[in-house]
Amino acid sequence: MSTTKPNPAEPESRRSTKARSAKRARSPQETGRLIGTSALHLLLMVLALTMVLPFLWMVLTSLKPLEEVGLETWIPSSFQWKNYGILFGIGVGDNFQFQGIQYGRWYWNSFFIASCVTFLQVFTSALAAFSFARLDWHGRDKVFLLYLSTMMLPGLVMMIPNYQIMISLGLVDSYAGLIIPAAFSAFGTFLLRQFMLTIPGSLDEAAEIDGASKWRLFLDVILPLSRPGLITLTIFTFIGNYQSFFWPLVMLRSTHRYTLPVGLLTFDSSQGEQTNLLMAAITLSVLPMIILFVILQKYLVKGIQLGAVKG
Amino acid sequence: MSYLPSQRSRRKLATGLAFLGPNIIGFMTFTLLPLIFALVLAFTNWDLRLHNQFQDEALRFVGLENFTRLLSEPNFWRYLGNTLFLMMGIPFGIAGSLLAAVLLSQDLRAGSRRNWVWLIVGAVLISSTGILVMLGAQVPAMVMLIGGAASLILLSGTVGGKTLYRTLFYVPHFTAGVATFILWKKLYSPYTGPINFALSPLLDGLTGAVNTLPSAGVQSVAWLLVAGMFALLLFGVLRLGHWWAEGDISQFGVILGGVMILFPAVMGFRWMPLPVLGYLSLGAAGIAVVLLGFKLFNAARVFKPSSLGEGLGGTLMFATVMMVAQFILLGLTTVIYNLPVMASAPGGLEPPSWLNNVYWAKPSLMIMAFWAAIGSNNMLLYLAGLAGVPPELYEAAEIDGAGRFAKFWNVTWPQLAPVTFFIVVMSVIYGLQGGFEMARTMTNGGPAGATTTLSYYVYMEGFETGRLGYASAITWTLFGLVFLVTLFNWKFGNRYVND
Repeated sequence: MSTTKPNPAEPESRRSTKARSAKRARSPQETGRLIGTSALHLLLMVLALTMVLPFLWMVLTSLKPLEEVGLETWIPSSFQWKNYGILFGIGVGDNFQFQGIQYGRWYWNSFFIASCVTFLQVFTSALAAFSFARLDWHGRDKVFLLYLSTMMLPGLVMMIPNYQIMISLGLVDSYAGLIIPAAFSAFGTFLLRQFMLTIPGSLDEAAEIDGASKWRLFLDVILPLSRPGLITLTIFTFIGNYQSFFWPLVMLRSTHRYTLPVGLLTFDSSQGEQTNLLMAAITLSVLPMIILFVILQKYLVKGIQLGAVKG
Repeated sequence: MSYLPSQRSRRKLATGLAFLGPNIIGFMTFTLLPLIFALVLAFTNWDLRLHNQFQDEALRFVGLENFTRLLSEPNFWRYLGNTLFLMMGIPFGIAGSLLAAVLLSQDLRAGSRRNWVWLIVGAVLISSTGILVMLGAQVPAMVMLIGGAASLILLSGTVGGKTLYRTLFYVPHFTAGVATFILWKKLYSPYTGPINFALSPLLDGLTGAVNTLPSAGVQSVAWLLVAGMFALLLFGVLRLGHWWAEGDISQFGVILGGVMILFPAVMGFRWMPLPVLGYLSLGAAGIAVVLLGFKLFNAARVFKPSSLGEGLGGTLMFATVMMVAQFILLGLTTVIYNLPVMASAPGGLEPPSWLNNVYWAKPSLMIMAFWAAIGSNNMLLYLAGLAGVPPELYEAAEIDGAGRFAKFWNVTWPQLAPVTFFIVVMSVIYGLQGGFEMARTMTNGGPAGATTTLSYYVYMEGFETGRLGYASAITWTLFGLVFLVTLFNWKFGNRYVND
């Protein structure tokens, strides 16, 4: 853990090696620096604590018995792990009102829809990006410009007519109505094109000499080499759709088709006084994102710093 | 190659389109077609209540009626005002991100390995002594809990370094959505929320202090704040005049910036707790205008012509900061002036009811947004920007004897200007379209429409009422605003960045 990570964003690593090689002995300057760094750590700790405290309250409240919800103390007298079971219908007592909350179903819906959208969007974007970045055809740049120019439009502009289109197609209140419109993305195409442009062109020529078709070139050469880009887009798309609220709220009518954000809203408005269960529901819906971020943050940070900012 | 060129290019086109195929079909159906559709919709009376499978009234083209109705609708202006009000939190978020990035880009390992060991030992010692003392002193479990969390962060921070802090900072932004908004709604809850539980003892203390002091003494602080506000006003206006005289900014910039800087004082006329203060505020605005006019008139002789957008980016940023700072002073004045009256009430000072209060609802949302914005993508962009600052510049500044602060202002800040500009433009674009999720989950746009933003208005008109034509007109107006910002960026962005 103490080894320096190969991070380009660290001008200080240069300085520290300098300091190390210069002198091993303790100098007053170095002691001063120790004090400065300690103060820095304290400051960062305070900032981090403000970020963490709401989540700490959330987790602790989710473990409280109902009688202790709304008390000043954060710590439950006994940890009610069964709150999490109740969400999925396990151990629901007879005096317990929990109708209309189909948390497990919502959880599954969210994952299912986000996964479908992510798969389709990454796939179609990769194909289109390949066409824009590695193939040469008449009118290519004009079409790409068209793609680019629509990225500037507020999503709201397209949402109203899309709603009418969904009504006409009879896709309101269906999974397809959530998945299909989100499966195509100008942003994803743009992002992957930028990644594919960085792959050297000599690879294409080599593949052509070997007699590989464009499809083989795409599948065997370009796609594996754009892995970081694909992962970045996958995270963006998955989280974006997992969190998506406006469109599902507009489209969904039946409770059993709700995704988590819409479901949580219903939960809050109908059973909001059961804060412990609500917090358990929120904890479980935030958890996958935190895990995903911690595992994949390397790609995410790089993707954002490359200018791939959205939302 | 036996193909004719035309055949060959046709083949290339076919291959290209084959790969593009799946995407472009979707693109045309769900982006291009709706786009044209939306443009048509905005000029019709399309309404889901009139045009559905049960009822089929004739669809009429109404020309610009939707737009004229929108512009004459007081609610539109109110919601636009709400949106802009919420956007005043943006500078704070950006400043927070910059601060976090600067802190994170410091050497967290104290230079040498030995120092680093000392750091860890120190953190362990501090944490364990702290916990032991708390155990011994029988402090409440709550204090223990928060102290424990703090120690844990400190310990893992000294070991994990930058990555750990960065992860913790980024989590609120990454998870921001309906779930965390509902969480904050509960945190803000007036009688059962932890925020007010934490505030009430502090406010009780304040009540005691205010009640023992003479009320004139407390109110004199309010007068001081008013003086500070006027000082800021004059400073801002004179600065603008100075820049104009130097030819750094255009007439357009002076007028735009001037209006922004004068705005709080004019609003102060309505909001100040005493009529006298209101008139004073108006008077200060008047004096500022006269001063600015005098400056411009005097400078006109040596004035060298400059282009319209000269220095506009910088001017706007300066003016925004000045405006927001004045608004804060104005708000504090109102609160402090009324403090003695509020404190002498039977219950003493009460913590605000946050989301349920017309005046507190917007600041509540802004505080939450600030919490989520510190560790956002902006922080990551700043981190990348900071890593790109050439070390020679710092060395040169050190040779010139620049301190930490001087180095920041003269090296870091100008070097980060392109990043800042990008962040500001993107934040403004997203800010104009934002606010729906927060308002829908936390306040339902209330109380009394205080948190309804433009995107929420679109939702209300388009999807709750069903007036798709009218809602389209709103989205196109919104697009017009976004387009103005983009145009501004495109036209003046490069110039500002090159400065």
